[in-house]
Amino acid sequence: MITLALRRLFRAAFTFFVIVTLVFFATRMSGSPLDFIIGEGLSAEDRATLIRYYELDRPWWDQYRAFLGALFDGNFGLSFIERRPVSTMVAERLWPSAQLLLAATAVTLLLAIPLGVVAALWRNSWIGSAVMSVAFMGYAVPNFVLAVFLVLVFAFWLNWLPVVGNGTPWHFILPTVTLSAAMIAAIMRFTRNAMLDVLGQDYMRTARAKGLDEGRVVVKHGLRNAGITILSVVGLQIAALAASGSVVVETIFAWPGMGELLVNAAIRRDYPVLQFGVLTVALAVILINTCVDIAYTWADPRLRRSGARR
Amino acid sequence: MKHLLTATALVAALSGMAGAAELTVAAANVSSYLDPGKDHSNVGSQFYFNSFDPLIHKDYSKADPEWQPGLATEWTLIEPTVMELKLRPGVTFHNGEQMTADDVVFSLNRMFQATFPPYQVRMRDRLSNFDHAEKVDDHTVRIHVKREEPLFETLLNLQQTFIIPEDYTKALSGDPKVAEDSDYEAFAMAPVGTGPYRIAEFVPGQKIVWERFDGFWGEQAPLDRVNVIQVGEVASRLTALRTGEADIATNIAPDQLSTIEADPTLKVVGGATPLFHVMIMNQNHPKLQDARIRQALMLAIDRNLLNEALWLGKAVVPDSHTMEEFGPFYMPELKTFEYNPERAKELLAEAGYDGSEITFDTQGSYYTNGMLAAQAITEMWNAVGIKASIRDLPKWSGNDPEMMARNWSNPMYFNDPFGSFGVMWAPGGPSQSEGRFNTDETYAEIWDRFRFSKDIEARKAAYAELMDHMAKDPAVLPLYRPYESWAMRTDLNWAPKPGHIPYVLDFRAGSVALTN
Amino acid sequence: MTAFPMIARNTALGAFWASGDRIQRLALVLGAALALAALAAPLIAGFDPTAQSLISRLRPPLGFEGARPGHWLGTDELGRDLLSRCLYGLRLTLSLALMGATLGLMLGGLLGVLAGVAGKRIDAVIMTAVDTQIAIPFTLVALFMLSVFGSSLTVMVLVLGLAGWEQYARILRGEVMRLMQMPFIEAARAAGASPLRIALTHVLPNVVSPVVVQFTLSLSNIILLESTLSFLGLGVQPPTATLGAMVGVGRDYMPNAPWIVLAPALLILAVTFCVQILGDWLRDRADVRLRAR
Repeated sequence: MITLALRRLFRAAFTFFVIVTLVFFATRMSGSPLDFIIGEGLSAEDRATLIRYYELDRPWWDQYRAFLGALFDGNFGLSFIERRPVSTMVAERLWPSAQLLLAATAVTLLLAIPLGVVAALWRNSWIGSAVMSVAFMGYAVPNFVLAVFLVLVFAFWLNWLPVVGNGTPWHFILPTVTLSAAMIAAIMRFTRNAMLDVLGQDYMRTARAKGLDEGRVVVKHGLRNAGITILSVVGLQIAALAASGSVVVETIFAWPGMGELLVNAAIRRDYPVLQFGVLTVALAVILINTCVDIAYTWADPRLRRSGARR
Repeated sequence: MKHLLTATALVAALSGMAGAAELTVAAANVSSYLDPGKDHSNVGSQFYFNSFDPLIHKDYSKADPEWQPGLATEWTLIEPTVMELKLRPGVTFHNGEQMTADDVVFSLNRMFQATFPPYQVRMRDRLSNFDHAEKVDDHTVRIHVKREEPLFETLLNLQQTFIIPEDYTKALSGDPKVAEDSDYEAFAMAPVGTGPYRIAEFVPGQKIVWERFDGFWGEQAPLDRVNVIQVGEVASRLTALRTGEADIATNIAPDQLSTIEADPTLKVVGGATPLFHVMIMNQNHPKLQDARIRQALMLAIDRNLLNEALWLGKAVVPDSHTMEEFGPFYMPELKTFEYNPERAKELLAEAGYDGSEITFDTQGSYYTNGMLAAQAITEMWNAVGIKASIRDLPKWSGNDPEMMARNWSNPMYFNDPFGSFGVMWAPGGPSQSEGRFNTDETYAEIWDRFRFSKDIEARKAAYAELMDHMAKDPAVLPLYRPYESWAMRTDLNWAPKPGHIPYVLDFRAGSVALTN
Repeated sequence: MTAFPMIARNTALGAFWASGDRIQRLALVLGAALALAALAAPLIAGFDPTAQSLISRLRPPLGFEGARPGHWLGTDELGRDLLSRCLYGLRLTLSLALMGATLGLMLGGLLGVLAGVAGKRIDAVIMTAVDTQIAIPFTLVALFMLSVFGSSLTVMVLVLGLAGWEQYARILRGEVMRLMQMPFIEAARAAGASPLRIALTHVLPNVVSPVVVQFTLSLSNIILLESTLSFLGLGVQPPTATLGAMVGVGRDYMPNAPWIVLAPALLILAVTFCVQILGDWLRDRADVRLRAR
């Protein structure tokens, strides 16, 4: 078990290294930050001066070495555009992002798992289909359309809720609803399907044969087993959201989050911000996934055996 | 349910409450840095005027420049190339320092003799005729120019020549006695000036908080506090007005005006901004080297239709690169650009246009209505037989040799043709350096007369020649002066003043009032 | 455990129809109608989807004040016929989604199976690639590809295909690994069955269910992703119509001209709805264990 966890951690570290390297080279391939630093229309002389000043003429291996060095000494440099430490910029946005993510995940789990069980148990009646259909609505409407719609209804017309920033708990409602709406259907669907898998297993048949009530058996045995699958899907969903899902919501609700920071940095080719930002997000995602993987393997005896053997 | 909102701490920070006069502005963009010296962006120009002063002010309620004392109370040319200025006594910076001649000399020379590369850029494109500033005594400075300068006052009114404190800036990093590049970098995160509002908080890309500066030398600011928050999405900006989270929302596109007008508690003010949305063309692209092709591209564009359709007729379509704000240099009599699709077709035939694809670059929704105009323009080109398509790029392409035509904006950086056309189209300037615009000796000679003639008529005549040159071998077509709108509460009295450069949010005394 | 007769029975549409409930049948009919509309877009659209009329922008659908005859759903921000754009947009969106999802399936499926059956070195390499893809914000990957390779429909298909491959890889690897441990596979192996035969008769039927689910999920995901890219200004180049581009641009007009968002948004909803319901239905029919009951 411990060797397995260690090996998983080693792979995580290796993945991290691959990402760091990819990001370093990809950012430099995608263009120059100059036009975004001072504004477009620079003369050739200006360009040359600025390239020297921002050390864009440093050979790539030198820059790469400095970047790798930063992984150890923590000096990730200054943003080209804001000229302040990128670590400050990321720190400013990490917590608001995490808050929103946690809120959305909590709401999603509270709604999606019970609804998924309902959809599985009533799979052959209209109830199952109806529950699924409603959840689809939230998922199937583009996130920003739903967000703007919520803004118009609950703030513009009804004037019930605020739309700008993350100042109070009230500010969480609309962004959380928007993000959850997109996740609920997926988690619910996997819950339902995982439950259906469990329903088909022999021990369920045995349980039923013993005359036990299906609903209770499902909740007792089924959910426990299906929980493994659900766990991994939830992990993936959170990871996906952490990685890219939130930029739309952040833009619309003026939420000071990571998604907006990263997309802006990518558009403006602010390499230092992009590098450190992606690195932070990747670290979070890898951690989530590694934990889920280890938990997954640990919870599933068959995989544990195979994992130990291979 | 409204209690829901009012119960929150948020609302305590909002305006309209008894006592403190406070405003919140929902801005489409908040700057990434605040340094009046290096910045010339449309985003940045919103924010400097409240916190900084130039040596020479003007009456901003008038389009024609009417100079007024600023941080200098008197100024005289003591030699053809030397101006002496008497400084206003008793001026205090936001950090409590007294302003002296040293601060003025430091502020000016950091630009005139720039060593910090971003300042060098601005020095070259507009301040290159300045040689240096020197201190005479604590309240007198002299400014030396290289050649006689017809635009002395104008250039000392610029955002780039706003005054900043010397000791404070030098002490920001490294050696407190030496001005290092890192000091200027640090200044942009913690700017200090002499204006009526101090910058109490600045989070790049998110918010700016102004507080009234009680030590201001002039008339006290009317507001205690102004919060500027970035709200990028237009629906959210409009909504923030309705929920009371904001009192003013910037950058409302014409198509959204009807939403505001339907609400009696809100109003819109706006006007044609002193800025042109332009189409630039690459003179050196192999497919466009024949000037007749570029002329045809211009003649095919019905700018009045664009105005009627996309700007509800509220934009201003110019006949030449000229605007009223140029004062004596406003030249409506010039007819440089026109719409004539028949002539466009003839020119294409004469030039032997081979039907190859001509692309129009645009940067998404970077400019208000930019994407719509791009699509409409390519459609107009198609109508005269040009095979046209759009390249929507997430970046500037003006320095890309593949660029054929694209949209750009040409703001008026100061009230003179040099401050608008001149900054972009000087010989050796940005457009030429980027390889899409050529000048020859003739152009340079006309340019020199336009830039340095002391006689107004001589400068005007030279400008007319430049425009003629541009019509014969075109590289730019001004499309229109866009109509910019600010939406706000009806009880708020604020409007952009005609004497300002584009987008300035002026909250000084006399510029804003609450009428409840 | 015999798989082929099951597939044969599934293709018999009658039996399939009979097995569905009302919502599932509705989805089937609606889906067929949408597919037909997309295929026949050039025939049934009344207007050129890119033909502008700047003097009649933002006209509402027929029946509302200010509507223009002939424009059933009204006109968009450049006076183009909304219905025609919706039809062409549906056509292109469906094509992009199918191509993207297929690309993802092929790439991810191949790598996933390979990771499942090949040695642990290859497995580690492939899983590192999967983890890398998961951990890098996808909008950044898209932005990178678009700025390096330029924006064209081909690049867009590649971007959309890249968006889901890691899901297939993860799922297939997991399933294959799980199955390889199953007694019946070991029995088949012991009985001398070739790996190909094992794959076709034992593994394939067992992975059909999760792959179908993932395919339907990624179809809708891709449609939504395309709209998100449009929101960020990274979508298909104008004036080409896709449903995503139409909602991406149209969102600014929601307060004053909601129809230009509603029409494409409802189409996205309808497509996603059909795909999901049909996917679940297929999955229920195809699932070996559930069918046994």
